Amino acid sequence: MRVIFSIAATTIGEAIRRRVLLVILLVGTLLLAIAPGLQVLSARQERTVLKSFMFGTMQLTSAAIAIILTVYLIPNEIDRRTIYTILCKPVRRWQFLVGKYVGAIGALGMMMALMTFISVILFYVMQRDAPVSELAGIGQVAVMYYVQMCILAAVSITLSTFVAPLVNFFLSGGLYLVGTLFTSVFETFEQNSKTPGLVKTIAHLVGSLLPNFSRFNIQNSAINSVQTIGSETRYYVESGVYGVMYIIATIIVGMLIFEKREV
Amino acid sequence: MWAALAVLFVGQAVWDRVLVEPTYVKNYMPANKAFSAGLSPEQFLFALSGFREMIAGILWVKADSFFETGNYDAILPVIRLVTWLDPHQIDVYATGMWHIGYNFTDEQSRSDRRYIPSAIALGKEGAENNPTTYEMFFETGWIWYHKVDDNYSQAVNWFKKANEREDMIPARRNLLSTALQRDGKIEEALENYYKLLDAAEARFKADSSDYQARSGRDTIEGNLDTMLVRMSQRGYWGSKSNWMNTIPYDTQPPFDVGFSVKVTVPEPRVIRFEGTWGVRPVGTRIRVILRDKDYPMAEPGGMKWDQGTAVNLDPPKDVTFMQDQLYVKNLRFDKTCNLAKDPTMYPFKKDDYEVEFYYNPRSSPPHIQDKFSWNGEGMTDKNFLNTEIRPGTRVMFHKIGLTRDMLLRRGQYSMSGGSLPTVMTTDYIDAGAKGTEDLIDIPSLRSQAPPTAK
Amino acid sequence: MPAAIETNKLTKSYKTKNRGTTNVVNNLDLHVEEGEIFGFLGPNGAGKTTTIKMLLNVITPTSGEAQILGKDVDDIEVHRLLSYLPEKPYYYEHMTGMEILKFYASLFGINDNEKCMRLLEKVNLAGDMNKTINQYSKGMQQRIGLAQSLLNDPKLLFLDEPTGGLDPIAHIEIRDLILQFRDEGKTVFISSHELSDVERICDRVAIINKGTIEKQGKLEDLLAGGRVEITADGVPQNVSDSIKLTDTIVSFKDGRIIVDMPDSADTNSVIDSIRTGKGTISSIIPRRKRLEDLFIETVRDANQVIKDKEDAK
Repeated sequence: MRVIFSIAATTIGEAIRRRVLLVILLVGTLLLAIAPGLQVLSARQERTVLKSFMFGTMQLTSAAIAIILTVYLIPNEIDRRTIYTILCKPVRRWQFLVGKYVGAIGALGMMMALMTFISVILFYVMQRDAPVSELAGIGQVAVMYYVQMCILAAVSITLSTFVAPLVNFFLSGGLYLVGTLFTSVFETFEQNSKTPGLVKTIAHLVGSLLPNFSRFNIQNSAINSVQTIGSETRYYVESGVYGVMYIIATIIVGMLIFEKREV
Repeated sequence: MWAALAVLFVGQAVWDRVLVEPTYVKNYMPANKAFSAGLSPEQFLFALSGFREMIAGILWVKADSFFETGNYDAILPVIRLVTWLDPHQIDVYATGMWHIGYNFTDEQSRSDRRYIPSAIALGKEGAENNPTTYEMFFETGWIWYHKVDDNYSQAVNWFKKANEREDMIPARRNLLSTALQRDGKIEEALENYYKLLDAAEARFKADSSDYQARSGRDTIEGNLDTMLVRMSQRGYWGSKSNWMNTIPYDTQPPFDVGFSVKVTVPEPRVIRFEGTWGVRPVGTRIRVILRDKDYPMAEPGGMKWDQGTAVNLDPPKDVTFMQDQLYVKNLRFDKTCNLAKDPTMYPFKKDDYEVEFYYNPRSSPPHIQDKFSWNGEGMTDKNFLNTEIRPGTRVMFHKIGLTRDMLLRRGQYSMSGGSLPTVMTTDYIDAGAKGTEDLIDIPSLRSQAPPTAK
Repeated sequence: MPAAIETNKLTKSYKTKNRGTTNVVNNLDLHVEEGEIFGFLGPNGAGKTTTIKMLLNVITPTSGEAQILGKDVDDIEVHRLLSYLPEKPYYYEHMTGMEILKFYASLFGINDNEKCMRLLEKVNLAGDMNKTINQYSKGMQQRIGLAQSLLNDPKLLFLDEPTGGLDPIAHIEIRDLILQFRDEGKTVFISSHELSDVERICDRVAIINKGTIEKQGKLEDLLAGGRVEITADGVPQNVSDSIKLTDTIVSFKDGRIIVDMPDSADTNSVIDSIRTGKGTISSIIPRRKRLEDLFIETVRDANQVIKDKEDAK
């Protein structure tokens, strides 16, 4: 445990200093900062557009950081040979992988927390009459995004144990797109009576196997707070459990592959 | 390890499908119709993330310019995209629905009725996506009430749902009673007025200096008075107490409207409707429909307006459905519908056509209803009274057939030497004495003796 | 007492493009005693790093066995007893020297700031311990690497090109540290092609070429067989003719005779016969065999054998 923690802490320290990530984060926060100026585009309530833009910025920025951060995490260690100085210590490979992952989501959490903080402050400044529940809603969406990004990080760190970084970048990005579209696409597929049975079965299987990122996109209800949703907390817990299960399963795959990997 | 992995993967899939997915689909999933609508790739990418509502806003601003330039076709996909991207943009739903329902017209300002089912479907979708606010329920009800103007029980249902929403504007709540009357549900209408009056009184008592509260109360009071007078006049109480036979109520005996018609095609795609209607006061509009004989979902006097949830913005271009109104003036109507200028709206691709003439007393203005009553109790037609197509209502309904050759003036009806296509009811009488065209007489039906056949 | 390193037919092969296999390490039999400094020599690409990676269990051998300190290499416990300093390692640049040591210590479960301090003093970095790694020179980085490799008081140290790319002073510092390790009873396994360093500090060496060990043994044994060069004037023809012994080269230059002979041969009798023939000896130079000679000789011979084999095919 201490080993994992040490590796994680080192990874965080390194990640929050990586220039490319900081640039993305900077762009993200700048976009958040100009959000209030974009309200002229609104055909309707400016609050809706403000929130929409904030969530969109937060999500895209986080996804970019999650992928770029994790894609290079292990290949960099191999390139720079630091991995040998660690693996020749009494450190098991899975501990290394898990440590790196925990560090990655730790750094990601810090960056996302920063963006959420900025969003909440801006939102409060711009919309002083907004009820506290809406401010809390921003937090809820951010937390769900965080779970989503943790899954994304797990997927791309697992891929990074056997795929080159550039390929992994597009693969992870692609999976993220597919996983976000999932429910919509596959459900259309499954419900369409014209789709042949075999295709439906395959769609169902693929849909069940790949990560369902869309489950954590709850921004619609937060943006339009008129909608009241029953059993909200239950959903957070259930989808959270789903996320954790998926992360564990993915990381185990990564561990098994990394165990055999020649570094 | 492998076993644990397999269990985890199956576990996550089952957990997701059983527990997470249903809640997600119910509460959080955006409608998935944009896949057929087609976003540009970058819009699509952005729409995947939280930018959805933002893109919707931008698109809708863009649509404004289309409204200004009258490029109505371009607006349809925008409406579809915007409502998909931001299913809570009530304004877009409402505007879109109106746009589809009212703005697509031919050169003579007849609405393209082929779009109405889509307008209704859009309204339904909007209401479903915004269940906490009254707006889309009200708007959908309005389309039924005003545009369909026939199936009032639908309007009633939607207005009721709108009234259930707390944010429903008090002044709009009256409309339910009007719709209930049109639907023949008199007692319910009355009950609703009383309820509204109580509420308005309470509001007024709470703050008697509030001008709005006062005028709201006065309006309802006025409406209620009028309704009570009408109920009395039209024999509502009388029928309850068996006075009907002893006192000559306005609605008794039923008045024969004496409908007759002659349809001619003076030129290709130009149809002339001439005929008689024995009601002298202005305000009679007889619905006329010219459509493919096998028009999908056609129903007597219209079509199945509620065709499910599909918002089809591109209705089949090869079918013809024309609906218009024949205004009665001085006991006659004479209208020429020129459909030649709108070949996309009236393609005339089929061989056989039907023309329907339909009059529903429920749509009549109040002064005519004073004679016909709410459900046509005071109305009859010796040839075309129909009590079947609208159960509980006495309507006038007549249907004749036309062929494509007739409408396009081909074959034996060709313009060069062929005969003038003419279809008429047996007792049709050509307009006789001239000079009656300018005579407009608005006597009460009450003072008029039952007409005798000319 | 078990050997520090013992391998038996250790082989690592990779698939090549045309579906064949190539043995990067081929039937390697290494034997390293405890407490010695062992030089593992070979040209670039000979399989040195691959061998070390197998010994560290970073990659798995295709066949053969390897034991470290009497335990199989895949026993993670053995990692408590060894350490490894990779060639040109990179440390997390944002960390200070002290932080680096604390981090690596934590991987052993060690939480001992004083020990870290002692090690920093030992590698002469105590004054720079609060500088981040990206402010360190190459030599300092190598020294912090050595310090981290000493955290667990290893019995066995693997050093991959420990002096590569360092300036002469840094060179000497590192070399002295390694010699110190031997005094402390540690076994040091040095992979290098810096032959002068190896020659100065190693007890035993192995020369590997193209995955195969060509020579292995004590340095003094391998370098045994130096030569002596005797230069003399005025040596009569009959005398010079009589010197023609086995493995002896006799040449004439400017009327001088130069005799190049193994030091194991009977030098005295040659000197005697020159004197007896009234010749004047101008110099007797013993030439010790250099590791460099041995290395080049070995690699050249081995490549010649391989070439001959290929030609025969």
